[in-house]
Amino acid sequence: MGIIHTSRIKSPWIMHFDNSSCNGCDIEVLACLTPLYDVERFGIVNMGNPKHADVLVITGPVNYRTARVLKNLYAQVPDPKMVIAVGTCACSGGVFHNCYNILGGVDKVVPVDVYVPGCAARPEAIIDGVVLALQKLAKAQGVAK
Amino acid sequence: MNQFWIAVIAIIVAPIIGGLLAGIDRKITARLQGRWGPPIIQPFYDLFKLFGKSRIATSRMQLVWIYGYLVFMITCLVFLVLKLDILLLVFLLGFAGVCFVLGGFSCKSPYSHFGANRELLQMLSYEPVLLLTALGIYAQNGSFMISEIFNRPEPLLASLWPIFIALLVILTIKLRKSPFDISTSHHAHQELVKGIMTEYSGPYYALIQLTEWYEIVLLLGIIALFWANPLWVGILIALAAFVLELFIDNIAARMTAGWMVRFSWAIGLVLCILNIAYLYLMKGVS
Amino acid sequence: MMAVAVLLPLISGILVFLIRQYQIRGLIVVLTAIALIINSILFLKRGPFEYTPEGFNWGLAITVLDYVILLFYIYAGLSLRNWLVLIFALTQIVPLAYWEFGMGAHVELEPAFVVDHLAVVMTLIISIIGSLICVYAIRYMYDHEHHLHLEKSRQSRFLFWLVMFLGAMNGLVFANNLYWLYFFWEVTTLCCFQLIAHDLTKEAINNAARALWMNSLGGTAFVLAMIYLYVNHGGADALSVQNIIGGGISQAAALLPVALLCFTGFTKAAQLPFQSWLLGAMVAPTPVSALLHSSTMVKAGVYLVVRLAPAFSETYLGIMVALVGAFTFLGASGLAISQTTGKRVLAYSTIANLGLIIACAGINTPLAIAASILLIIFHAISKGLLFLCAGTIEHIIWSREIEDMEALAEKAPVTTFITAIGILSMFLPPFGMLLAKWMALEAAYVIPLAAFLFILASAATIVFWAKWLGRLLQVLPRLGRKLESLSFSYSVPLWLLVIGIFVIGIGVAPVYQKFVHFAVNNVVAAEKVFAEGWNILVPGVSAVTAAPAPAAGAYPVWPLFIVFAVALLLPFLFLALKPHELRPVYMCGEQVGDTDTDEWLTAADQKAKIQLGGYYFQNVLGEAALNPWVNTIAIALLLILFGVVLGVVLK
Repeated sequence: MGIIHTSRIKSPWIMHFDNSSCNGCDIEVLACLTPLYDVERFGIVNMGNPKHADVLVITGPVNYRTARVLKNLYAQVPDPKMVIAVGTCACSGGVFHNCYNILGGVDKVVPVDVYVPGCAARPEAIIDGVVLALQKLAKAQGVAK
Repeated sequence: MNQFWIAVIAIIVAPIIGGLLAGIDRKITARLQGRWGPPIIQPFYDLFKLFGKSRIATSRMQLVWIYGYLVFMITCLVFLVLKLDILLLVFLLGFAGVCFVLGGFSCKSPYSHFGANRELLQMLSYEPVLLLTALGIYAQNGSFMISEIFNRPEPLLASLWPIFIALLVILTIKLRKSPFDISTSHHAHQELVKGIMTEYSGPYYALIQLTEWYEIVLLLGIIALFWANPLWVGILIALAAFVLELFIDNIAARMTAGWMVRFSWAIGLVLCILNIAYLYLMKGVS
Repeated sequence: MMAVAVLLPLISGILVFLIRQYQIRGLIVVLTAIALIINSILFLKRGPFEYTPEGFNWGLAITVLDYVILLFYIYAGLSLRNWLVLIFALTQIVPLAYWEFGMGAHVELEPAFVVDHLAVVMTLIISIIGSLICVYAIRYMYDHEHHLHLEKSRQSRFLFWLVMFLGAMNGLVFANNLYWLYFFWEVTTLCCFQLIAHDLTKEAINNAARALWMNSLGGTAFVLAMIYLYVNHGGADALSVQNIIGGGISQAAALLPVALLCFTGFTKAAQLPFQSWLLGAMVAPTPVSALLHSSTMVKAGVYLVVRLAPAFSETYLGIMVALVGAFTFLGASGLAISQTTGKRVLAYSTIANLGLIIACAGINTPLAIAASILLIIFHAISKGLLFLCAGTIEHIIWSREIEDMEALAEKAPVTTFITAIGILSMFLPPFGMLLAKWMALEAAYVIPLAAFLFILASAATIVFWAKWLGRLLQVLPRLGRKLESLSFSYSVPLWLLVIGIFVIGIGVAPVYQKFVHFAVNNVVAAEKVFAEGWNILVPGVSAVTAAPAPAAGAYPVWPLFIVFAVALLLPFLFLALKPHELRPVYMCGEQVGDTDTDEWLTAADQKAKIQLGGYYFQNVLGEAALNPWVNTIAIALLLILFGVVLGVVLK
């Protein structure tokens, strides 16, 4: 399993999902892909499709409608998978936490591995979040199969 | 028995070369975009990671076709290294393509269907030119056998350069590079989800990547045939063609499927026909 | 033997017509089928021979029956008020009567029948595949009438024409006397007319009438060719097919009648611009399409052209025949892309492949003739199978539309599997059709324009087959699906044809060496055998030196079948998915429910089914857009053909 395990850490493909965010965090997530931050250095590639993704990067608070979608997308990501909640809203619901249509943070719907707070979260922080997720994956070797 | 070992070595070595080429592709693309880019061996990380993911699929039918895609692509490569019939090689390549298309059609997914329909149009664009290439080689050599190309001292490029140019257009379509990344696209290109590859995941997506690597090697091998004696010149030409494709990929925007068919038929077919007609008139019926 | 081949189907047909009981009728058909198959194998064992029936004035009987048929055409033309039918019936009967009674022609000829290897190839196809289709028809017609809720069964009538047709076909391929050949030709036209009109709807009758007048046009050319030969080249002897192709009449002198006969072949084989009758014929019940319009009757047209190939070797007529065929291959393949009905796709593909066979006959090298005969064999098997599949599918979903066949793999896995094999065998390696196409292309360089048309057509072929196959095999993974049960009358012919595809496909090289090679030699002298062991091998052209020339092309047959098995069959049989490994498709997370579903939530949480359709390019490749161009070019090609021939004759 050695080579596969190393490869997992070297090649996290992310899928970015926006629940109902203000788009601040989304812009920062995309900023990671720009030449300035260039996350492809670490093998991180943005995928448009959960079936190809390893890491779900989720922004914004979960509302009743996106909860269903989020669950479905999560189910379509093949194991082993990681979930990163990016931004305060995704972590806890943020300023929207007591709105009538908001469930709260992402962890109300799917298990979250890494929380990246911030409003909006900085690209450095997002990259750090992915690295943390990978460290967690490295430790959890053999568990997620 | 000798032939057997040549085939085995080719089957083992080809994906390594293909993977490295894919890595170089990503590196050069990144540099052209002012980025640092991933390591050269990044495609191998991706491949092994994908092999290590859990197996999920939408149906068994899909998996059957993906094995067909891989196995027939490998068969094509074996045909090339054993220097067999090039016309049959093109037909087998067609089978590989059909398998891929059917894999796309096999699930009820709009994205996958879009991709599969467009892949069919890609086949419609490149298949005639590939067949005409085989015919052009026959016009020059009086034989469809690849071994016969190696027996001739003068390179094919001298007499078949219009077909060579047409083949470069086809190479862009076949490698799914802009402006012809119609059915699906690669990293750093956005796409309607992922086109024909949308519904493959984990190990099955890895099989597609592997097949693409075989395909790169196969196509560059066919390009290299145009200067078969000595072969290293041909290989250099093939590598130059590959780098050229990367540049085109990065400077071109994606075009529509209809434009692709018209372009490849208008440019590719006309070049091929003129070439073959010239040879026919010069040499007469062999 | 000859009597069994030609007369037994007629007798069985009459019996079937008289006996109105389902079981007994079926038994007679099955017994006839077995007798015909055994008989055709006896032909194969016995080898070539000549035969003239004696003891009865057969010539007179044929003459009388000929006029009966033609008078029936006149009657049909009058009663349907279809003037084209009437005109072309008159153009046949008037010259014929003038020739026979006015000029007192005497058309007795010995030998009346010549059985050579090419004829045996044809009779094997007719007897084996034709019989299987007749067996299939027993149950099919029962279901067909059941579905239509007919009060009065017309199955007897249907089976009469179907079974009787086999005899006419056998007679046609054996006949040496052109006049007899003409008679059998007219019988097949008559069967075709009756069977297309079988359902007696307005559309069926109109299409039957169109088939009749187009084939009568061909018949007219046939009559003119016979009269020309008789008048100009010494009486009845000139009507011997063997004489014409054997050099008994000089090539230039026989060119015009041969061109006319080729024209007759084109009409029968529905070459452009005569494609419309074959397309119209698709309204008939599917066994008719399988038997007459794909595997046998239309093959009579190409058989005639291949048979006459020596008479136009190395002439401009040969080149023109090749171009007409090759253009038909391209035109029909292109039109097939735009078709939404399964049977029409099959019809266009049939026309295209017949065009390919005719083009091979026009190219007329040993390799091309070998390709054409192999194409006749493989096409008959694959297309017969596909039509039977289309019929079976129609009886499962009661529709012929390709879009309705979506997800058929779930409703009827067995039928879908067989259909998939049939479709794959039409256009992909390692199956025989592609092998023959490959041979054709290797041979086609002699006429580069034909080769170019082949290549374009071959690319178009991929598109329409892959589209259809994709539609059939689209699945939602409902676990625990059940295999459908097919009645014996359906499943036996289907499975036998599938086995035939594989057996002849794998064993093509031995079959070629032992059998087809001799048939090729009946047409064109071929010293080289294009097969070695289990492989097909095209010898090099530069065989002047003593050293063995390098091969110009090689097709390893069984290694490719192994690859095919490894690639598709083994995964199909052994690959299993556990239920938890199945996921629904990506629909942006908007599926209804979590697992297998094809519904999704649209605006305001309304549920909607996903609907997907294929591309048909109606405005670019549709019949309305392409037909004027295609027909104009085809007519122009025919005019050039006759112009070239007349140029030679008048000089």
